[in-house]
Amino acid sequence: MSRYITRLRMRRTYKWNGRPVGEDRKLKRQYYESMSISVEGKTEDATVSLGQYILIEGDDDDNPFVAQLLKLYTDDSGKKKTAVLQWFVRMCEVPQSKRKLLGRDPHPQEIFFYQDRSCDNEVDGETILGAVQVGIYVPVQDPFPVGKSRDILFVKLLWDTKSFRALDPELMQPSQSPKSPPPSSRGPQPRALPTPDPSVMKRAMSGILTRGSMSTGKMSSSEAESLHSASKLSAAKALSAKRRSQAVSGPQVRKKLDLCTPATPRTPRHATPSIPSRTAPARKPGNVLEEARARLHVSSVPESLPCREQEFQDIYNFVESKVIDGTGGCMYISGVPGTGKTATVHEVIRSLQQSAEQDEIPHFRFIEINGMKMTDPHQAYVQILQKLTDQKATPDHAAALLEKRFSAPAPKKETVVLLVDELDLLWTRKQNVMYNLFDWPTRRNARLVVLTIANTMDLPERIMINRVASRLGLTRMSFQPYTFKQLQQIITSRLNRVKAFEEDALQLVSRKVAALSGDARRCLDICRRATEICEHSGSQKNSSGLVGMSHVMEALDEMFSSSYISAIRCASVQEQLFLRAVIAEFRRLGLEEATFQQVFVQHQALCRVEGLQPANVSEGLTVCQRLGSCRLLLLEGSRLDLFLRIRLNVSQDDVLYALKAD
Amino acid sequence: MSKRRSLTEAQCVSLAQKLLRERLCHQKLPDRPLALDSQYKHLLELLRRTAVHGESNSVLIVGPRGSGKTMLLGCVLRELMSLKEAQKNVLLVELNGLLQTDDKIALKEITRQLHLENVVGDKVFGSFAENLAFLLEALKKGDKSSSRPVVFVLDEFDLFAHHKNQTLLYNLLDVSQSAQTPVAVLGLTCRLDVLELLEKRVKSRFSHRQIHLFSSLSFAQYVDAVRAQLSLPPDFPDPKFSDAWNHSVTKLCEEKSVEEILRRHFNSSKDFRSLHSLLFLSVSRVSVSHSTLHEADLLEASRLISADSKAIILHGLSILELCLIIAMKHLNDTYDGEPFNFQMVHNEFKKFIQRKSHSIHKFEKPVVMKAFEHLLQLELVRPVDSGVCKVQREYQLMRLMLEHGQVMEALQRYPQCPTDVKQWALSAFA
Repeated sequence: MSRYITRLRMRRTYKWNGRPVGEDRKLKRQYYESMSISVEGKTEDATVSLGQYILIEGDDDDNPFVAQLLKLYTDDSGKKKTAVLQWFVRMCEVPQSKRKLLGRDPHPQEIFFYQDRSCDNEVDGETILGAVQVGIYVPVQDPFPVGKSRDILFVKLLWDTKSFRALDPELMQPSQSPKSPPPSSRGPQPRALPTPDPSVMKRAMSGILTRGSMSTGKMSSSEAESLHSASKLSAAKALSAKRRSQAVSGPQVRKKLDLCTPATPRTPRHATPSIPSRTAPARKPGNVLEEARARLHVSSVPESLPCREQEFQDIYNFVESKVIDGTGGCMYISGVPGTGKTATVHEVIRSLQQSAEQDEIPHFRFIEINGMKMTDPHQAYVQILQKLTDQKATPDHAAALLEKRFSAPAPKKETVVLLVDELDLLWTRKQNVMYNLFDWPTRRNARLVVLTIANTMDLPERIMINRVASRLGLTRMSFQPYTFKQLQQIITSRLNRVKAFEEDALQLVSRKVAALSGDARRCLDICRRATEICEHSGSQKNSSGLVGMSHVMEALDEMFSSSYISAIRCASVQEQLFLRAVIAEFRRLGLEEATFQQVFVQHQALCRVEGLQPANVSEGLTVCQRLGSCRLLLLEGSRLDLFLRIRLNVSQDDVLYALKAD
Repeated sequence: MSKRRSLTEAQCVSLAQKLLRERLCHQKLPDRPLALDSQYKHLLELLRRTAVHGESNSVLIVGPRGSGKTMLLGCVLRELMSLKEAQKNVLLVELNGLLQTDDKIALKEITRQLHLENVVGDKVFGSFAENLAFLLEALKKGDKSSSRPVVFVLDEFDLFAHHKNQTLLYNLLDVSQSAQTPVAVLGLTCRLDVLELLEKRVKSRFSHRQIHLFSSLSFAQYVDAVRAQLSLPPDFPDPKFSDAWNHSVTKLCEEKSVEEILRRHFNSSKDFRSLHSLLFLSVSRVSVSHSTLHEADLLEASRLISADSKAIILHGLSILELCLIIAMKHLNDTYDGEPFNFQMVHNEFKKFIQRKSHSIHKFEKPVVMKAFEHLLQLELVRPVDSGVCKVQREYQLMRLMLEHGQVMEALQRYPQCPTDVKQWALSAFA
């Protein structure tokens, strides 16, 4: 006996019961009263009829959708069967952030009347699994009936995607109608479970039964766990709990918090990952320079993202239009590191979420994965699934579940915006991860928007096979490296009127960085280092206390200058002689490569010229290995002994320059 | 005081030796790193800001082997931990590229050292992927002001750059550049080109701070350092002994021959680790009957340290083996370093016996072969290609792993070497 009703891959056949009861000539539709479902291998059929509660195939095999059947019709060809429904939702289908709104623990068998105009209430008739028994409507103040069979579902409240409300009993009226079956329906129709096939019913029931018991079991264990960790955990937990309660308290507060943590909150299953909190809170910056340093840290979230307005607008429009239309699509964003790709996308999502809060656009879910933050490309499935449904699965299973979720015509779906950072890391030999990621949005019912980020502009052409590149489409955007003006603007906007830098100094930094890489991170790091240098030297001479040209120069020197020359200058006499011997040997051979034996002969000769006692082979090898470990020389393995080949890792001119200076 | 005076000389000597040994074997950190003041300040300031202000940082400490990277870090961490604000707050994670050879092991080690909640006893549960997700989640939950800063020390940093996709480095550096738990990532390496090993997006996330440790000591400073390393501290229990010892050390350092030895060492390498091994050998020779350091001790230690390893092996060879080596040397001279085989060596040897030798017996070929194989075992001779060869042993191509000078020197020193063998070696052609 399996709880997976649909996974049994039974073939079902659907047939109309009786003759059409009505006809719409304009729409060329014929209406029916009931439909019978026959399952392969079973002799008896199940019947569903109008007004009954039914189960609809969904993404989650354990929890199929629940709905009430309102109409059944077929188009003139008579092939396609369509059902019009009134949806009900289970607690697990309510967005996690909204579940708190119920204010109590849901009953395991509780479902909610679903009211949402944007939701498609027509489904393919062939997705109906069977009937289910829904208990009588329970008035709000009454307790849930006890002692009833565990496969009955109860309705108490109404969920309108924003809040839970008391359900008007009027709305549940049709549920009473099956009691007095319409005259045209054939056969006796008892109120509950009219299906004459006991085995199908049994399976459906057992599915619900096991699910019910399972969910309660899960709940109790997680409760116990949270109790356990609460006693064990200290302030961190309390803090997060406080934050959570704040989040519920008002939409304003929640909005602000969402800004800081764009990832969807998740309940920990087993252990709670957290770093212990410190005894005393961190000290706040004391003076102007410290303040400037804190603002210039890459991690500090800026108030706005200057210089990326155009890119912001493009991405915003793309995602917004897809969310509004309820369609899917892909976008590829490229740019060298440190040009604000991820930051811009996050900013877009932030403002979209803000407008979703204000009901300007439909709600959507944002999920982020990063190719670098997973151990294997196939882990992408696991992470997406976990962030989407909080389920854990193996990569293969997760892929199957996601495939199903995105291809099944599920009516109550929110649009999912998926951000895939460092896309090139998801490359596999068969490229099936990429293929799937770009294929899902093209499905008719997927409602998936995929934003991908990588460094190279020609990634689709270079590493993707045709069918993957074609699905990625041509919506591309590339982030150009920042120009010096933009970099300057970025620093100025981050500093935000904290006067810590001289104008010239800022310009020098931004010009230098723009010329080298255009990486904003580099620019900020240099500025931060310059403030440190200023702080240490400032007390003596610089009266203004501002970061000036000299400090910036020093910081630039520290970060960009090559260390090879100073390394050679500080090397010992024998090491310097050895380098000289290498160059002499290269010149003699006319090659850029020599064996140790050859160089050693030169080395000994040089020692004699310098009036030093010539080194023996062991000493010579030690000197050579030491230079090799610094990578001033490139060496073969020391196994080769006298015959190991030596090459310079620095240009000959650099070596000569460094040696000549002293 | 009376009790202190009662220390016998033997006790004094062993105590002094113990003190010096601790110092020379790096078991005890020095009070203050030598000649690294600015680097010390820079690093301390950086770590202090992470500990106190919760500012994330990343830095590389680059310097040749033995230049005192670990010592510098040790001193800085010692001072950091003595700060009241930092003491209970900082979490330290130490990794070594030679131990944590891939990211999977490194992740387990990090979770273990952080005492995260998926650790039970000494074991970390969960798969690689789960561990990574768990650690990232833990670091993500923290924030700048409330969670304890974590100091990651990555020894042999360059080896971490060889891990697959540089996942660990990317994630650590990414945390250091985003508003999560404050971390300081310290890398220690001796490679100057370490930045070129980093992938471009990993590199972009690294702050590009590098602290270079290049010793710019002059010889006078070097001698001073030697004196300081050998002197006994002022709080030595027996002041009389320590005065006498320190005086002798000062005098020792002024001697001409000692200066020569030190100069030779200074020329070959400036780092303190090789100096320490020299001093360690000489300190070990001190005993009750020989209670102060002498010039001879240093001389002997220097001789031991700078001895050529192959020359020592050559001293233990038999005359026949030596003759074979001379034959190989001649082959090398004639054919300009081309490889040879046993048959060629044997022919050369036979020519020598027939023409010139009066003191050497005629050896049977198997005996010569045996001697040749002994040389092969000592790795004084090496086959050219070590792979499988179907060639007969006699015809396998070989190379001599000795320098011309080494052979000649060994001959000079060889006890009772027959004159005709010497002459054969000296003659230009066989």
